[in-house]
Amino acid sequence: MALLELKQVTKVYQVGAVAVHALRGIDLMVEKNEYVSVMGPSGSGKSTLMNVIGCLDTPTSGTYILDGKTVHDDRIEQSSNGKLSDDELAFVRNQKIGFVFQTFNLLPRITALHNVELPLIYAGIHKKDRIEMAKEALRKVNLEDRMHHQPNELSGGQRQRVAIARALVNNPSIILADEPTGNLDSKTSREIMQLMDHLHDEGNTIILVTHETDIAKHAHRVVHFLDGLIASDELTPKGKG
Amino acid sequence: MGQLFESVIMAMKAILQNKTRAFLTMLGIIIGILSVSLMGTAISGIDEVFENSIQGMGQDVLYIQKYPWFMMNDEWWEYRNRPDIEEEYAEQILERASTIAFATPSSGRRSDVKYGKNAVERVEINGTTWQEAYISALKLESGRFFSEPESRYGTRVAVIGYDIKTNLFPDEDPLGKEIIIQGNKFRIIGVIAQQGKFLGLMSMDNIVTIPLKSLQNIFGGRWGVSVSVKPKEGVTVEQAKEELMFIMRGLRGLKPREENDFSINQQEAFREQFASIRMAISAVGLGITVLSLIVGGIGIMNIMFVSVRERTKEIGIRKALGAKKNIILFQFLSEAVIISLIGGTIGILITVGLVGLLQKFFVARLSIDLIIISLSVSVITGVLSGIVPANMAARLNPIEAIRYE
Ligand SMILES: Nc1ncnc2c1ncn2[C@@H]1O[C@H](COP(=O)(O)OP(=O)(O)OP(=O)(O)O)[C@@H](O)[C@H]1O
Ligand SMILES: [Mg+2]
Repeated sequence: MALLELKQVTKVYQVGAVAVHALRGIDLMVEKNEYVSVMGPSGSGKSTLMNVIGCLDTPTSGTYILDGKTVHDDRIEQSSNGKLSDDELAFVRNQKIGFVFQTFNLLPRITALHNVELPLIYAGIHKKDRIEMAKEALRKVNLEDRMHHQPNELSGGQRQRVAIARALVNNPSIILADEPTGNLDSKTSREIMQLMDHLHDEGNTIILVTHETDIAKHAHRVVHFLDGLIASDELTPKGKG
Repeated sequence: MGQLFESVIMAMKAILQNKTRAFLTMLGIIIGILSVSLMGTAISGIDEVFENSIQGMGQDVLYIQKYPWFMMNDEWWEYRNRPDIEEEYAEQILERASTIAFATPSSGRRSDVKYGKNAVERVEINGTTWQEAYISALKLESGRFFSEPESRYGTRVAVIGYDIKTNLFPDEDPLGKEIIIQGNKFRIIGVIAQQGKFLGLMSMDNIVTIPLKSLQNIFGGRWGVSVSVKPKEGVTVEQAKEELMFIMRGLRGLKPREENDFSINQQEAFREQFASIRMAISAVGLGITVLSLIVGGIGIMNIMFVSVRERTKEIGIRKALGAKKNIILFQFLSEAVIISLIGGTIGILITVGLVGLLQKFFVARLSIDLIIISLSVSVITGVLSGIVPANMAARLNPIEAIRYE
């Protein structure tokens, strides 16, 4: 069975009188330990898809099944026990998914270390272990020396690395990264992609959004988006080989 | 557990970031708690003084007097025409009654009292007999009450109240000293123990007691008195009152259909009067308290809505990282409770300060119970006013919240 499965998923944003169709009926299946990159022009619905997959947003219609559990299904009532409850969704976001936001979404006024600690706090991990784990995650993104800085004291690339460390700190099995290298120089980008490759080798499932073909090549499969629909879905040379 | 602790820390940080705003929000709670604790202090103070003074009156004492203790303004004109209560009634009652143990006439006049250079103006000089000591359960701090022969001969001896002692004898033992009343020397033989006062409500502290005969001698002439009566052991006040009524009607020569032309007063009447004063204070205090707590609660609710709106993005991020509904709820609820608890604590601290000042004027003590009640009330107000905004925060959709600017 697929790790995650979307059937005819749509997302419509109502802006005043105008309805914006961000997703127009997506069918997508991702197996465990797949390495998928999502490409497509700006505004084509990539971030919207990531939010739905990451259980951060609910589709307007369609079905989403994650790890055998129904996250969303039009035909099932809100209160039905076939569907994940709010607290179960919080648990999934905390334990199963590591989400790297396109806009980082770090909390201001607290240090990088504390930002990375947050998922561990909500996982109920003890303070001492928590700090060790957070430091370890920052070490992986080469940011140990900046851990006591607040986000406004960090460069864009450094903030992005904090966001990545935060997504990895809980050892999630699914990593959803929305342009994780968008703000990084080529050297750091390479390091981050090495980290992604390594995480994939360890058995994790990775979905990443990118505009760069070089980055997309790290994945085994590329999904192309156009106007809220999947235009193509094919294996990369790496996937074939 | 760790998560809850974190939530409290975050709540405190949020408050510290907006100190002025938080303080202004607290004002309603401060005033509410101030009024509830001041009211409680006032009531327990009044209670204490009342019990003290009423003890001085003796629990079961009956007072035969021209006027009833409590009457309407216009009734006074009816009672004014009653004949005076005669001094002799006391002895006549004792001769005839089977339920009465003691009966004494007493009467009062005001006069300045001097000792050396010290003087107290317009002191209540109470004239009575030796039986007064057995009728009122007066506690003496030192010395003794006057004896039967001293009453009979009108010896110039005096028993003084605590305030008189401290005013006239700041650093001397008053026993055996002679004070001047209306140009006459009186030797002090006893001092009544302190009773405390509340807004000048009936207190023996400011009274000088002398034999009735001496009072008549120095002021010249006789006038109406009040007769205090104490029932025998094992007799109820009601039984004694019934017999007294019968004897008094005989002494006054009243026919069966005629109304009483005297009043028999008892402590009970004071209690009733006191209860209504107490009720009035409670009602006003409670009104102010409830009103300011409602205003304070609405203030907190308002500021919590603002706080939730300002931190919508933060809430979204926390939820995206796995914060459960209840954790978010708890975080904002604790912010509301902390604000109102700090307000309550400030209210109590101000009360403590005020009570310290007020103690100079009357008995005032802030009880632990009252502090606990006040703090609980603040917590409840915080929870009630925080629950709606906190719930709103907890229900936010993560991605919509993150997008909120
Ligand atoms: N909250 C929202 N309200 C209204 N419209 C929205 C909202 N979020 C996204 N959209 C619209 O949905 C469409 C898809 O947006 P999305 O963010 O998924 O694009 P994207 O592919 O990630 O683009 P980019 O490459 O620029 O990040 C866009 O047209 C956008 O304007
Ligand atoms: Mg995007």
